[in-house]
Amino acid sequence: MSVSSVTGALPDPNAPFTEERRGLIWLCEREVVRFLKLWVQTLIAPVMSSLLFIVVFGVALGDRIADVDGVPYKQFIVPGLVVQAILTAAYSNNSSTVFQARSDRFINDVLSSPLRWWEVNIGLAIGGVVRGLMTGILLLILAVAMTGIGVERPFVLLIATALVLVAFAQLGVIAGIYAKSWDFMAFVTSLVILPLSFLGGIFYSVDRLPAAWELVSHFNPIFYLVQAFRIGFVGQGDVSVWLALAVLVALAAGLSAWCAWLFKTGHRLKP
Amino acid sequence: MRDATTSPSRAGHGTPALSVRGFTKTYAGGFTAVQGLDLEVPDGAFFGLLGPNGAGKTTLIGAISNLVRPTAGEIEVFGHRHDAREARRLVGLAEQDINLDRFLNVDEVLIYHAGFFGMGRAHARRRAKELMDVFDLSAKAKVRPTALSGGMRRRLLFARALMHEPRLLILDEPTAGVDVELRSELWEYTRRLHEAGTTILLTTHYLEEAEALCEEIALIRGGRIIARDSAEGLRAQYGAADIAGVYLQAMARAAEDERRVAA
Repeated sequence: MSVSSVTGALPDPNAPFTEERRGLIWLCEREVVRFLKLWVQTLIAPVMSSLLFIVVFGVALGDRIADVDGVPYKQFIVPGLVVQAILTAAYSNNSSTVFQARSDRFINDVLSSPLRWWEVNIGLAIGGVVRGLMTGILLLILAVAMTGIGVERPFVLLIATALVLVAFAQLGVIAGIYAKSWDFMAFVTSLVILPLSFLGGIFYSVDRLPAAWELVSHFNPIFYLVQAFRIGFVGQGDVSVWLALAVLVALAAGLSAWCAWLFKTGHRLKP
Repeated sequence: MRDATTSPSRAGHGTPALSVRGFTKTYAGGFTAVQGLDLEVPDGAFFGLLGPNGAGKTTLIGAISNLVRPTAGEIEVFGHRHDAREARRLVGLAEQDINLDRFLNVDEVLIYHAGFFGMGRAHARRRAKELMDVFDLSAKAKVRPTALSGGMRRRLLFARALMHEPRLLILDEPTAGVDVELRSELWEYTRRLHEAGTTILLTTHYLEEAEALCEEIALIRGGRIIARDSAEGLRAQYGAADIAGVYLQAMARAAEDERRVAA
């Protein structure tokens, strides 16, 4: 160590705080850098996983399954698989980044900095948003090439994508804050998100279910995500576009409010 | 003997580096770690905080650094509320536990830390290079912290705390688990930082080092300060040959007081 060379100038304690570059931008960058360093695990693996469903159920078996409301089956399943890939990427990215930072306590580096509570919230959430978006775009490109699906209502798809990203990025942050072990997050992914996704009408239209099961499906929030995406892609779904988007808005707003409360109060982040 | 909570500012402009008034922290389970603590550390001081495990040192440091929510009381850093951005920009913290970002390289750990404190990229890179040179980390710039030795991680933790050029440097047992040579180098460097004007708040279990380095020492037990003075003043007050003797006597007296109050 060069113990003789002390460098750096002491700041004026009375000077107002100024930033050469916003701390928020740095935190957003850090979160994106984190998942890009693990790109095989964070981008390629989920895209390949969803692609397998399209290949097996869509391309290989799709010709043997009747069209659903006039939509070829291989195209019918694409919207649900895309939204599932997006929400899983956003959730798992943020739950793991926040839990790891809490577990190793390097989140203290952020919490003790001059970043404002809402900047910390946005910064930690942005990784999931970008990862979800990249996963969705990659999967979409491949799905279009393989199934020939188009986008009937691009504006609906755009709004739905934004709302899903916000909702599940925030859900991931919340899970990362409350989690006490990695098992908790695996539990949420495997036993909550995955079953709700599959029961949310990715592979079928709920119109064809018995009345009781159709009713139950309407209590599944992911059902409305799938419907919003399906309306965006093929122009039709099992519910109206307004109901699907309204549920998405409520979900995103509720989870954002919960997350904001956690950061503003420091609940579970600061003892 | 000086008042147990205050002493004059060395800089002389009257605003202490740290002012703690009536700080109380009761955790969710009902355990009160600190009760009504008052403490003032002058600008430019080298201040030691000594006490047994569970005395409240880390809770106090956490509250100053905006990592622990005070239950009651006021904490000011250079006259700013401790949770104000102006205050947080002035505090550098090297925690007791190694808490380095496992996803970043050594240079990125330093650069992103500076970024969270608002530093520009070119400035942050320059500063990171300076500190990697000082702390002999340049050869490991592209290595992740998990691949470093314990001593190197400790040096990186120290360098990170200095990245944003803090005016108040808080070192929570910074030499725990490091070898004698590195400990000596870290203390020498800390002494030089102090000479350059940095206020230093130090906790350590190495009492002889606190005695050699700190201008003032406060002994803390059960969340309250039981003695405060220069090393010389404390030795004279307790009639002890060294700070270890002072420490043992002060803790024994405090324990006796606690038993009397409990009875």
